[in-house]
Amino acid sequence: MAGGGFLAARRELIESLVGRNLKIRYKGSALGFFWSLLTPLCFILIYAVFARLLKFGGLTPDYLQYLVCGIIAWQFTVGCLNDSLHSISGNANLVKKVFFPRVILPLSTALANLVNYILTFAVLMLYLVASGHARLGCGWLLVPAFAMHFALCLGLCCLCGTSNVFFRDTEHIVGVVSQAWFFTTPVMYPVSFQLDFLPAGIGWLAYLNPMTGILALYRKALLGHAIEAGGCPPAAAVAVSALVCAAVLVAGRQALRAGDARFGDVL
Amino acid sequence: MNPGAAISIEHVTKRFPLSALGSSSLKHLVIDAFRRRRAKVFQALTDVNLEVRQGESLGIIGSNGAGKSTLLSIIAGTITPTEGRVRARGKISSLLELGAGFHPDLTGRENVFLYGAIMGIPRAEMRRRFDAIVDFAGIGEFIDQPVRFYSSGMYVRLGFSVAVQIDPDILLVDEVLAVGDADFQRRCLKRMNEFRHSGKTLVLISHDLGAIQSISDRIAILDHGTIVNVGGPLDMVDAYHGRMLAEAAGGAAAATEWGTREALIARVSMTDASGAPVKRLPDDRIIRISLDYTASRRIAAPVFGFGVATPERGVVFGSNTQIEGVAVPEIAPPGGHVSFEIDASALQAGNYTMSFSLHSADHQTNYHRLENALSFYIDKACRGFEGVAALPVKCTVCAN
Repeated sequence: MAGGGFLAARRELIESLVGRNLKIRYKGSALGFFWSLLTPLCFILIYAVFARLLKFGGLTPDYLQYLVCGIIAWQFTVGCLNDSLHSISGNANLVKKVFFPRVILPLSTALANLVNYILTFAVLMLYLVASGHARLGCGWLLVPAFAMHFALCLGLCCLCGTSNVFFRDTEHIVGVVSQAWFFTTPVMYPVSFQLDFLPAGIGWLAYLNPMTGILALYRKALLGHAIEAGGCPPAAAVAVSALVCAAVLVAGRQALRAGDARFGDVL
Repeated sequence: MNPGAAISIEHVTKRFPLSALGSSSLKHLVIDAFRRRRAKVFQALTDVNLEVRQGESLGIIGSNGAGKSTLLSIIAGTITPTEGRVRARGKISSLLELGAGFHPDLTGRENVFLYGAIMGIPRAEMRRRFDAIVDFAGIGEFIDQPVRFYSSGMYVRLGFSVAVQIDPDILLVDEVLAVGDADFQRRCLKRMNEFRHSGKTLVLISHDLGAIQSISDRIAILDHGTIVNVGGPLDMVDAYHGRMLAEAAGGAAAATEWGTREALIARVSMTDASGAPVKRLPDDRIIRISLDYTASRRIAAPVFGFGVATPERGVVFGSNTQIEGVAVPEIAPPGGHVSFEIDASALQAGNYTMSFSLHSADHQTNYHRLENALSFYIDKACRGFEGVAALPVKCTVCAN
């Protein structure tokens, strides 16, 4: 990861790999790329029915929109997690035969998911605007939200991709952990549910889960929902999440570096 | 790194943890940590030192498991050496383990461009070379099919074609010649020769000794992870051949001698026209055998015989003093000398071994028999033909 120069020199390779990841994902399916747009629409529909049936509507204002924002953002994280498992081991044929900077593999996985996410995000925006729920006054917050979210996903891709080369258990662990992570993240319920467990003043603890901060930013930017942090300044709480995202990215880089020398032996 | 060196391999040792070769799991890691046990290791290469000069073509030969492919992967940078280091000057393209790392779900075209991108070749440049690549591979319209539908021959042809056409400074080739039909092998050899003559560096592995000998400037023999010999191609192929036979003779499969031992074939050697012992078949392709025997008693009417065999096809030709009408009334202590001259110019290229026997005229008593006592190698047959031996042919064709 020697910075911009390295990325520029390898731009075409990264583009090719991202294109390949996307192509393979939709290879053979009749609707192909349209699934990127269709899936979020289906989600919105399913959750609209589910929220109404379960009478969850009162949890937050605009509960359905709150939920859909969370779900779609969560899909990006979990999509990266799942794809990253095979980002290196699934490219054994390349890793074993050609030398190139290995970071390109998790990076292209994260980027392919990002492309997909941006498409679904566009559908989400259209829906919010069309249904009259969009409050885009703090729209600029999408920039830090995307930056944190992508850093987190890239770090996770490096970590899981590397780990899965050496320990095939990673796949199963990730399956379980991501499920637990989903329920400890305020996707379906408001942050206040967690804050109720925490004494006033240390609400930022909830933001150690980086997804909590990321989702709060998205909802603030899209729906105008205030960032709740149990008495802590919202900016400080989000900063905690941002720090965790950065830490995950650094950890991912270190893991990849440590593993790099032995990929060829194990694959 | 010396100026003029394209690849320099310095004290390279590679150990693979054996657990990593099998299934790796967290369980093993935890168990190993608790038992404080070091994982078993497999030593693939031991202190390998080698320098390949710019524009040189180096062949690597050795039996299966000798470490050839590991060495090539280390040069390619896909495996990191445990100790020592490898430095290479220029762009390396490699064809390791048959195939350039194609993704089965992508089409040939997509794979070609992906490989180009990995090698850092701009897409525009790849587009210009694309036709030449497809042309050389000879896969026609299959280029737009996913490569999983390719035959292994097509896969290798496309792999070789891409690896060569991206115009590397150093080309690493692991056993391409084993796959593909005769025509493709010929084109491969031709292309590798062109590559060589354009001043590029080539490192290749092959079990096809004839081919590797013809294309290499130097050959290194690898045995159990060490380079045991480096030198001119002809000498090395002979040396390797000698090693293989020595190993085969050491094995249980080759019972080397038997008989009543009333008389013994004490020594056999191959000589040149002047009678000096030679290790290699002389250029005139006459096998001159000098055989010394000893006898412990007087034996009437013995027969001296020999057989020429290939490892794959068995005995190709055999004869003896009886068949040749050479009368041997008797042999008596202490012994004597026999010589044979055999014209081998009809033989096909390949490895041959010779066995000798001393037996009674009625073949009932075998005094002594020596299996695989000598070996020789024919680099290239005198003329093209199918099979083991070239028989004289006269042919006329006429229209009615």
